[in-house]
Amino acid sequence: MDLTTGLRRFLAPAPSFTGGRAANRTRRALIAVLPVFLAAVPWGCAQKLPIDEGRMVIALPGAPVNVDPRVATDAYGEQVLQMTHASLVGRDAAGEMIPDLAERWESPDPLTYVFRLRPGLRFHDGRPLTSADARFTFAWILDAANRSPHRGLYRNVAAIETPDPRTVVFRLTEPFAPFLSTMVRGIVPAGSRARGYAPPAGAGPYRLDDLSPDGEAVLSAFDGYYGGPPAIREVTVKFIPDSNVRFLELRMGSVNFVLNGVDPDLLPAAEEAGRLVVGEGPGGNVTYLGFNLRDRALSDARVRRAIAMAIDREAIVRTIWKGRADLVTSILPPGSWAADPDLPATLFDPARARRLLDEAGFPDPDGEGPLPRLRLTYKTSQNEVRRRVATVIQDQLRRVGVSVEIQSLEWGTFFSDIKRGSFQIYSLTWVGIADPDIFHLAFHSRSVPPDGANRGGYSDAELDRLTDAARRESSREKRRAMYRRVQRILARDLPVVPLWAGRNVLVRDRRLAGFLLTPDESYSSVRGMRIVSLPPTPSIGGRR
Amino acid sequence: MRGYLLGRLLRTLPVVFGVVTVVFLLIHLLPGDPVEIMLGESAAPAQKEELRRELRLDRPILAQYGTYLAGIPRGDLGVSFRSGEPVLGEIARRIPATFLLAATSISVAVLVALPLGVLAAVRRGKGADYLSGIGAMLSLSVPNFLLGPLLVLLFSVRLGLLPVSGYGAGRPLVLPAVTLGTGMAALLTRMVRATLLEELRKEYVTAAIARGLPYRSAVARHALRNALVPVVTALGLSFGAVLAGSVITETIFSWPGIGRLLIQAIDARDYPLVQGCVLVIALFTVAVNLATDILCARLDPRIRYE
Repeated sequence: MDLTTGLRRFLAPAPSFTGGRAANRTRRALIAVLPVFLAAVPWGCAQKLPIDEGRMVIALPGAPVNVDPRVATDAYGEQVLQMTHASLVGRDAAGEMIPDLAERWESPDPLTYVFRLRPGLRFHDGRPLTSADARFTFAWILDAANRSPHRGLYRNVAAIETPDPRTVVFRLTEPFAPFLSTMVRGIVPAGSRARGYAPPAGAGPYRLDDLSPDGEAVLSAFDGYYGGPPAIREVTVKFIPDSNVRFLELRMGSVNFVLNGVDPDLLPAAEEAGRLVVGEGPGGNVTYLGFNLRDRALSDARVRRAIAMAIDREAIVRTIWKGRADLVTSILPPGSWAADPDLPATLFDPARARRLLDEAGFPDPDGEGPLPRLRLTYKTSQNEVRRRVATVIQDQLRRVGVSVEIQSLEWGTFFSDIKRGSFQIYSLTWVGIADPDIFHLAFHSRSVPPDGANRGGYSDAELDRLTDAARRESSREKRRAMYRRVQRILARDLPVVPLWAGRNVLVRDRRLAGFLLTPDESYSSVRGMRIVSLPPTPSIGGRR
Repeated sequence: MRGYLLGRLLRTLPVVFGVVTVVFLLIHLLPGDPVEIMLGESAAPAQKEELRRELRLDRPILAQYGTYLAGIPRGDLGVSFRSGEPVLGEIARRIPATFLLAATSISVAVLVALPLGVLAAVRRGKGADYLSGIGAMLSLSVPNFLLGPLLVLLFSVRLGLLPVSGYGAGRPLVLPAVTLGTGMAALLTRMVRATLLEELRKEYVTAAIARGLPYRSAVARHALRNALVPVVTALGLSFGAVLAGSVITETIFSWPGIGRLLIQAIDARDYPLVQGCVLVIALFTVAVNLATDILCARLDPRIRYE
């Protein structure tokens, strides 16, 4: 019995005819044997839950490294910034660009973008927010001396102009269609220095009052926010790395909001607790299997297709993900405007997989015997779920005669191997794909590391031409047509096998309302949340 | 005494130097490029080279090592790659949490182990002895990553007495300290029992009782004092183990200590931060061992400062 199962069983309500007395006996016995120093601690049992005091407590699986929008790259930093800093533009639930600090924008030609700021904008410290602040933010990123990791994103920016306090103009060196999506970047006051744990003021719905590294961030509602002050006046973000502890905090009520941070095995127990509600929606992070096309066997598309056909993705989603993932046919998030809904799926067909391997020159040497047709290594990280997936894929490939050795490596070593091309098969997840320009980064023949993420060494002249043209094309319709063709080419050649997109799962207190679950796991809609009054429900969790 | 201390301090220098050197070489030998981790794959190669130069990672490893060593006497441990903050500041922010946890868990271990070990020794072969033996074996058999969540389930979820996680010197400290201290308490209990039994068999104890000294006084004032010398030595040596164990405990209880910082630094290949954390841990371990030696000499005057 693993720990998660144990937790579930432990938390299961006791039969009603013995529950009360048994629980009382347990409590009495345990209290009796508590060590002396435990007895010296004030219990504070009457302490109110945060939600009773109008506070929301969010748990994140890790602590942000940095919360300055000009340098932050980690997911946890970005998630805090979505609540504290406002950008020129934002994204809606479908990933479309929407106004944020800029009330409108236009692109009079492919080399020029003009943003018009809302009137009366202010930072948390009361200073007015003008076009000079926007220019400063991006100029700071572009200054090599500041070592911003985002500098590469804006390498096409030739000049930033501010003709008046509400207008900012970006001039590009060459057309770059995904430019607008790079404008989702928090604006900071002009003159702000990078100061690690004391980030510059923002203009988002919440003000960052306190940040303790590895501890928690305390946010308070900003009354000067252009969209009106948020209803929930205080939000605490706790950084809790252990998934079991996150779940137990939820059960206790000391945390009341966790997005994608509860183990799938524990979700039924969360649903049993009267206080919590589990919600889910489509996710945008696509897990895939990557092949090294420089490998003799894997350079043959028939072998890659055979491997894809030997994997029963539905079974993996059903058993490991408990149904909380959607099968995909492309690395683009399923809801993307460029996704091709008619893209043919590679179906589970072990018999056809065996035939393809025969055709590719890898016949089974001994029929049903133990000798494999082919031996491959499969590299993955030490993430528990990924290791379990690797084990299932290993078993499924064994059934078509492919022997797989799993190498589960520490993250730094694993990722280094992948980028160096030291692998045969690996599994990873594309996170935060905001634009189909990802195809250029991941499959263009010039994007082989260190110049991009074409780790398998894939090359196709038509795909190169299409991805080059699509990033310079400003017409959405023309780009869509090009990217659909790109996806057809990839479905034909299978340099990677797109597996599934994990669904976003939110566990929250039932009194919290108004959060919009989006595929990109955005915390932007926290500003629209409120605490509603509901009739009390019996709680199975501990008393406070 | 002063000469002894000076001598011991001088002798610790090669140890610290060795640790710094080995860690420096090992972290640089590990696969994984901090620049790639910081900038991601979408950054231009020129930008990566630029950052590599900025971080001075383009220089020969021996030159980097020389710069690092030269900075240590000045208290300059470099700047963290991931946060851009001075390493010393990063560590200083976490050290109080780790030492609060380590000191409390050691105190818990001592407070539990001393009475239980003495009880088991003076009641050898009786119920108390068997019970303390079984308890110690059970405690040693349960790893921290299991004990922590089990304690949380009982005392936080079922009984609602203590918080599940968090940082503070009061209630949030109880469960992490008990988790970290339980294994050590078990070990010390068995050690106190074994060393005390050995002392109780010696002639000076028999003579003391024969002269009319009450049994309790003979145990408490004579035998226990001598029995404590190896126990204190073990306690000092286990300080390093407590710091190592704190990595798991800090993760379970979201305790913002140096253990979690070290793990994050290794993941990010943040060389200066990894080196800084290891250096500080090594220095404290050496200091605690020195303090242990002095304490042993105080407990047993036959041990000379040499």
